[in-house]
Amino acid sequence: MVLLKRLRDRLIDLAIVIFGVSILVFGFIRMIPGDAVAIMLGANAEVTPDRIAAIRTRLGLDLPIHEQYFVWLSNVLRGDFGVSIWTGRPVIEEIGHHVWPTLQLTLLALVTAIILAIPLGILMANIRGRRGEAFVQAGSVIGLTVPPFWLGIIMILVLSTVAPSLQMLGYVPFTTDPIGNIQRMMLPAFALSLPIMANLARLLRSTLLEAMQQDYIRTARAKGVPARRILYRHALRNAIIPFVTSVGIMAGYLLSGAIVIEQVFAIPGLGRLILGAIAERNYPLLQAAILLVTCSFVLINFLVDVIYTLIDPRITE
Amino acid sequence: MKSLRTFTLACGVAVAAVVSGPALSAPLQVAVEQSPSGLDPHIVTAFSSFQIIDGTIYEGLTALDNDLNIVSGLASDWQISDDKTTYTFTLREGVTFHGGDAMTSADVASSLNRVLAENTGSPLASRLAAVDSIETPDDSTVVLNLSAPSAPLLSSLTSIAIVPAKYEDDTDTLQRAPDGTGPFKFVSWQPDVAITLEANADYWDEGRPALEGVVFNIVPEAATRQVGLNSGQYQMLPNIDGVMAQQFQGTGGVQLEETLELAYSLIGINVSRPPFDNAKVREAINYAINRDDIVAAALFGAGVPGGPLSPALTNYALPLDEFGCFTPSADRARALLEEAGIETPVEATLLVLPRDSTKGIAQVVQQQLAAIGINVELDIPEIGQFVQNWRNSDFDMFVSLNSGTIEPDDYFYRTFRTGGSTNVFKYSNETLDGLLDAGREETDTAKRQEIYADAQRELACQGPAAFLTYGQLYTAMRDNVDGYSISPTRSMRSLGGTSVTE
Amino acid sequence: MSGGTIEHPAEQPLPARPARRFKMPEASLYNLSLGMIFLITIVAVAAPWIAPYDPLEQDIIQRLKGPSAAHWLGTDQLGRDLLSRIMHGLRASLAISAGAVGVALFFGSILGLLAAYYRGWTERVIMRLMDVLFAFPVMLLAIGVIALLGPGSFPTAAAIAIVYTPIFARLLRAPALVIASSDYVLSARSIGASDLRIIAFHILPNLASVILVQVSLLLSSAILVEASLSFLGLGTQPPVPSLGMMLSEGRNFLFLAPWAAIFSGLAILIVAFALNLFGDALRDNLDPRLRQS
Repeated sequence: MVLLKRLRDRLIDLAIVIFGVSILVFGFIRMIPGDAVAIMLGANAEVTPDRIAAIRTRLGLDLPIHEQYFVWLSNVLRGDFGVSIWTGRPVIEEIGHHVWPTLQLTLLALVTAIILAIPLGILMANIRGRRGEAFVQAGSVIGLTVPPFWLGIIMILVLSTVAPSLQMLGYVPFTTDPIGNIQRMMLPAFALSLPIMANLARLLRSTLLEAMQQDYIRTARAKGVPARRILYRHALRNAIIPFVTSVGIMAGYLLSGAIVIEQVFAIPGLGRLILGAIAERNYPLLQAAILLVTCSFVLINFLVDVIYTLIDPRITE
Repeated sequence: MKSLRTFTLACGVAVAAVVSGPALSAPLQVAVEQSPSGLDPHIVTAFSSFQIIDGTIYEGLTALDNDLNIVSGLASDWQISDDKTTYTFTLREGVTFHGGDAMTSADVASSLNRVLAENTGSPLASRLAAVDSIETPDDSTVVLNLSAPSAPLLSSLTSIAIVPAKYEDDTDTLQRAPDGTGPFKFVSWQPDVAITLEANADYWDEGRPALEGVVFNIVPEAATRQVGLNSGQYQMLPNIDGVMAQQFQGTGGVQLEETLELAYSLIGINVSRPPFDNAKVREAINYAINRDDIVAAALFGAGVPGGPLSPALTNYALPLDEFGCFTPSADRARALLEEAGIETPVEATLLVLPRDSTKGIAQVVQQQLAAIGINVELDIPEIGQFVQNWRNSDFDMFVSLNSGTIEPDDYFYRTFRTGGSTNVFKYSNETLDGLLDAGREETDTAKRQEIYADAQRELACQGPAAFLTYGQLYTAMRDNVDGYSISPTRSMRSLGGTSVTE
Repeated sequence: MSGGTIEHPAEQPLPARPARRFKMPEASLYNLSLGMIFLITIVAVAAPWIAPYDPLEQDIIQRLKGPSAAHWLGTDQLGRDLLSRIMHGLRASLAISAGAVGVALFFGSILGLLAAYYRGWTERVIMRLMDVLFAFPVMLLAIGVIALLGPGSFPTAAAIAIVYTPIFARLLRAPALVIASSDYVLSARSIGASDLRIIAFHILPNLASVILVQVSLLLSSAILVEASLSFLGLGTQPPVPSLGMMLSEGRNFLFLAPWAAIFSGLAILIVAFALNLFGDALRDNLDPRLRQS
């Protein structure tokens, strides 16, 4: 019952937050200076006031702002996000094209981070109290704070100097050329993964150090049982809860980081879509993109919270 | 599901992938900087759209060769009446649209009407302003009746693509799915990834095209384009600037083609805002600017200082020594400010087109103007905001690029005539207006040269703009790309005759 | 947050008692970070006096040169001295980040403390509002704010401040709740101390150490966000030097002269590193679980 009540409360919170987000997204974007219509007509078009008015009407920009909001919201609820001002394609279709590269990039980065963080975390725990600990600790902080976009640029520089004939830059859709696609995703995914990797490794280190203090590990050690495996299994399991709670934060980091990394590596993902939409004053596209990204972020955090509640009984106070 | 598949494969392949270069595919891999906003030839304005469609997918009645001569296009021949107000075009035989229909005079008439229609909102409409009526006596003849003689007409027609008549009232379809008569037909557009064209097997010019197709990869990052050309992933980087070209010099396997651009950089001045309403202040600005420094700093030496017309228009452009203010002199500039009774320092804002070259120019100009007591603050908005402020004349000064054609009328009429559609300077000069009106209707070349020489003198030093530079334009290609030549208009029409040797 | 630290602010341990003196198990790292922060601050504050050149002074002939005796870190595409530009860029980046974090701290703690102190509707409204702001990925919200205000230093600072306000509000609310219901505060209230006085003199000081840790971590993060925004061309505008913008400009000349890109990025890394290391060392010391080992 406690769990159900908590779930209900969280659902209400969720609804309020999403409603707030929708108002903010809508209001924000409409307040952006710059007139979509003038920009749409282009720098060299012959602009007449009549023509501007006609297009404004077509886009619904002539309504009072609160009416625009409700028209927009009711359409959104019916799954209609409108059409892109520039290309005339349904907005949802444009976003669909750009979701996959971002999703692939962020997932690859996450997997890379997890795979590499495990040995790193173990290494960091093992070096506890020995010479070199300070270096490893400092190294992990460098990992946390290295700007991924800078790392990306440096990797491009090194790659083109060391192996100019490698084709590891640019973007090829997975469906066209799977191997080429993965090849080209490796550098950006690695650059994006580094801060997460450092974070996870540090998390693992502290759970490992904590586990070493546990009585039964000590006992096992005292008995001469090779305790290493028990220790790692125990620690890895203990690391799952803080890992789950940080997934929401990591998702936010990955989405934000991807926006910049996509610029460096010319990946046609959501970041490019959003920055492009701002420059073009493509209201419907921008609104839908920000709304969808933010809502999925909110949902991820909601799910994290639910899972956390389920796996950690202490929460149910 | 797709992401799951991607993900699973990613894990396996990422580890195993031996990084290697796939063999060259037959279609030419081109890397361009920007995604076009659309592909409708009558609506789009940006170079990013123009270079993909002009001469590749679409053709006009007339065409420009790379030396800027007007040659026949879809019209094989034309006659001009003695009073210069009736043009009779004979259409080329055997031309079909990519959709399969034969091109007839009805399509031509409909295309011209489409450009003229208010509803289309075509920026090209003013180029057909002289057209009074269009007749189609038979399927292969089109007659244009003009309200007055129009010297720029044949040049204007080079830029007006012929599209199937069924699109006359449809302004959406062609933006996404172009349908023309050119050597390549449109296959697909993956947003922000690539635009793919394939060879048009029914092209009217036998033996063309030699390529199986062209893929325009959209790659915004300069370093990525550059590394991609070096590694052979891309075979051509069209229309790049001097800075990038310089980074290819001495690179094995890469060839460079170059030409002088028709587009120019300028400082635009809002003549409705004091003290810039004073012609002496504008002249002072011209004297303060050192154009050679701008070429050296912002264009990396790849360009020339230029006046109101591109030096590429050899018939019309005056040599720069005709313009006194093009010899920089801070003393003369300060003297002019004093004569004008202006107290320095003058504070002003400079609106900057957000591109690397214009940002560089802005910073150099800022320093040069500071030397004569004009303190300029830079305002570098996003492109959308820039266009908005520019259009609304909401600036003291701006730095931007203006496009050019082979026709002086295109340079001047819209931009500097009183009430012109892109006269954002709010400039009004009766003498100039008279010259520009006369230049439009005068068809005698020698007389036109005189008219436009006067117009250039009128504009160069005291006009609403400081004309700065004409950039050198480059195309970088792999060594095995043959038969491509660069056009000053940025058109990639010579792709029709391009081949790749192995 | 792009490249930002990914600590969860809500995960901070609750200080059950007033802040104590720190013991420093990783004294070397702590000293290192303190030394670096000290040096960075001096360079940033004194940049106008110690920089060898005017950061805006162009010298076309010397452009895109590598490191030399005259220009220690080389020159950029307009022949400006990179070392001087990095010093001034550091100054700008730090000023923006510190200003932003300061403003976020101010509003965030007010909101967080108000919520904790008054509970009820006040708390609900404030915290829901914070939830809404917190729901956005950091860069997305920052880009939105900048799209609204236009690019520039001030909008960047405002954007970062708005993004970080809910972090402080959430961070302070939880421990403030505990303290607000402690005997200590209840007794202060019972002897008639005013609300303001209780918040300012009894609740806030107890949170100082938590705040200090978070401030240094968020400063580190703010440096990276500022750099990201400037890198995207949305932050500080030319000709004023900023580290992110120098990196972005430098990458256009990556193969002609990589120095601008390399050094400006390195500078960002060093500042973010020092601040993060400092916050980290402080927190380790506060975290009772790690202290025992």
